[in-house]
Amino acid sequence: MCEVADTGIGNLDRVFNPRSVAVVGDKRALGFMWLRSLSSFRGNVWSVQIDPNELPGIRELGVTNHLSLLDIPEPVDYVIAAVPRNVAPKIVEDCIQKRVGGVCFFTSGFAETQTEEGQRLQRQIVDMARQSGLNVIGPNCVGVYNPKIGLRHSEAQQYGGGGPVGFIAQSGTHATLFSILAPRSGVRISKSVSYGNAAVLDSTDFLEYLGADSETEIIGLYVEGVRDGRRFFRVARDVGRRKPLVIWKGGETEAGARATASHTGALAQSADVWDALADQCGAIKVNDLDGMIDVMRMLLRPKPVKEGRVGLIGMSGGQAVVLTDTFAKAGLDVPLLTEESYGRLAEFFDIIGGSYRNPLDVSSTFLLAADGAASLMKMLEILEQDRHVDSIVLELFPVIRPFEGGENAADPLLDAIAEFDRRSSKPFMVVVTAGHDEVLAVHARGRLQDRGVLTFPRFERAAYALRRLVDYWRYREGINPN
Amino acid sequence: MLTEVESKRLIAEAGIPVIETRLAKTKAQAIALSKEIGLPVALKVVSPDIIHKSDSGGVKLGLASAAQVGRAYSEIVRAARQAAPKGKIQGVSVQKMARPGVEVIMGMSKDDQFGPVLMFGLGGVFVEVLKDVAFRIVPLVKRDAAQMIREIKGYPLLEGYRGQEPANIPVLEDLLLKLSDFVDKTPEIKELDLNPIFAYSDGAVAVDARVILEPTDV
Repeated sequence: MCEVADTGIGNLDRVFNPRSVAVVGDKRALGFMWLRSLSSFRGNVWSVQIDPNELPGIRELGVTNHLSLLDIPEPVDYVIAAVPRNVAPKIVEDCIQKRVGGVCFFTSGFAETQTEEGQRLQRQIVDMARQSGLNVIGPNCVGVYNPKIGLRHSEAQQYGGGGPVGFIAQSGTHATLFSILAPRSGVRISKSVSYGNAAVLDSTDFLEYLGADSETEIIGLYVEGVRDGRRFFRVARDVGRRKPLVIWKGGETEAGARATASHTGALAQSADVWDALADQCGAIKVNDLDGMIDVMRMLLRPKPVKEGRVGLIGMSGGQAVVLTDTFAKAGLDVPLLTEESYGRLAEFFDIIGGSYRNPLDVSSTFLLAADGAASLMKMLEILEQDRHVDSIVLELFPVIRPFEGGENAADPLLDAIAEFDRRSSKPFMVVVTAGHDEVLAVHARGRLQDRGVLTFPRFERAAYALRRLVDYWRYREGINPN
Repeated sequence: MLTEVESKRLIAEAGIPVIETRLAKTKAQAIALSKEIGLPVALKVVSPDIIHKSDSGGVKLGLASAAQVGRAYSEIVRAARQAAPKGKIQGVSVQKMARPGVEVIMGMSKDDQFGPVLMFGLGGVFVEVLKDVAFRIVPLVKRDAAQMIREIKGYPLLEGYRGQEPANIPVLEDLLLKLSDFVDKTPEIKELDLNPIFAYSDGAVAVDARVILEPTDV
């Protein structure tokens, strides 16, 4: 789909990879958010605005304005419309006549208001789009983000380089937040789209597009509902066989049980059906933005994890117990190590108050010792070689000397950990807990992340993401999860 | 809503084994049918106006003689008239008492967004009180059927808990796939319950069936 280079009116690739973009109705009251966001766009940007009071502001931004879409002296691939709602049908008419690739309506006040006028206008847009084949995104959304070509809907979004992750969101806020936050954790984006009321194009259309998009390897989806569930299921099952799919479902609770005459009807709830859908499509279901980003960070690591047996290292007795509980509650195993591992640990493990069954509880004073870091590396290496262990989790507690000893004091330790991560064939996660100093923890996490290490702020998030990855890889392998 | 006899005929056509069930319109017919099918038998009221048959005295089980069948027939009809004075009573169904097995339920309902969805669970208290059930969207593939059976908490009961006869899991998987195929091709069905199905080590049979059709005026 994305290789097609025609200028057809129904070609969705013109919307995701436009060469020229027109913004209709950007204005000072919006802070010229659209034209400013598009300052990074690699192609041509045009403005369409008929209010003479807005023209100086547009000129200041160095953007050429026309009084009508039809006056723009070149084909337009993607139109962003921020016009009053009653002007929307007129804009659709111009888009059809101009044969644009598609139009995104930032404008709200349609069916979502549940007013008669809003619903009538939305129907009008839908009818016009259906007849002409025009791609309409929204209304009530922020549309497409393509960082590689600098197509943005927020100035806070990064641009210049692409990535392997596609994101589809019913909500504009979630699309914006994900697209800003995910790249900061190394989850770089190929394309994202928010589609609001889904009057014409629905999540399924975007899923189909990103499913076929050669730049997109992983797809995330924030969805509250779908219009044609049968088609969504078919497409999701097909795409899910080829690409990891992460689904964040909003609005899990459904008011009012339907009047039914069968047991089955009375028992089937919307949430159950979405869970079933995830199972059947091999999709990973998450509950929030953190879960979405965490799962994607793990999916991007080139280490599949097929079994859920974890080797744990905690920094104190209490923490080791809670760490173990957390992973066990997430449905993961914390197994005994091999006799060989215990033999090797016995040779040097002399931490007072510590123990080494699994978890390895190394006590909080451990890193104070001169050979603390070296011992830690030995333990990691033993877990790496232990055949009972599939992935390794290390807790770091930054309120200890190497982290408190100034800017770079912990560098040798962090370097050694990063070096282990590169060498290890097993998924490796570091949970940097805050203790009583969140600033130190953020700092430590950032420095590990800069070194390419997968870090988490809480045990729960690490366990949650790991459990979902184990399930996903079992699906891939066709192994029964029970 | 189809009656039990109609529902079972439909389900049997889908290739799902059901207990042979025939309609008797008189007491004499009920006695004749019970001899033909073979005692002991069960009798159930057949009326589109009575949904909860056993609650309204419309079910008699384990009838071992012609006299018992005759008495049961009269009692069921009397109870039905009391439960639904204006209801239409088509007669009484006569069916062979099934050999007891592990009770499971399979069903279908339609989700507003995704259309037909299949349910699987253990019958009786497990579905009614504990709601220990699994769902999958139609059409199911083999993996879906295998997973939904193993996903319920009561799965060990199907494996033959404490010396009980185990259920034949591949047979149940096959039934789910047949049911999926059937409802996929029969959009006229709105809801469906096979409750219970008796699962044995060498097969399974639907003992009761309830099919609700889509309203015809659409």
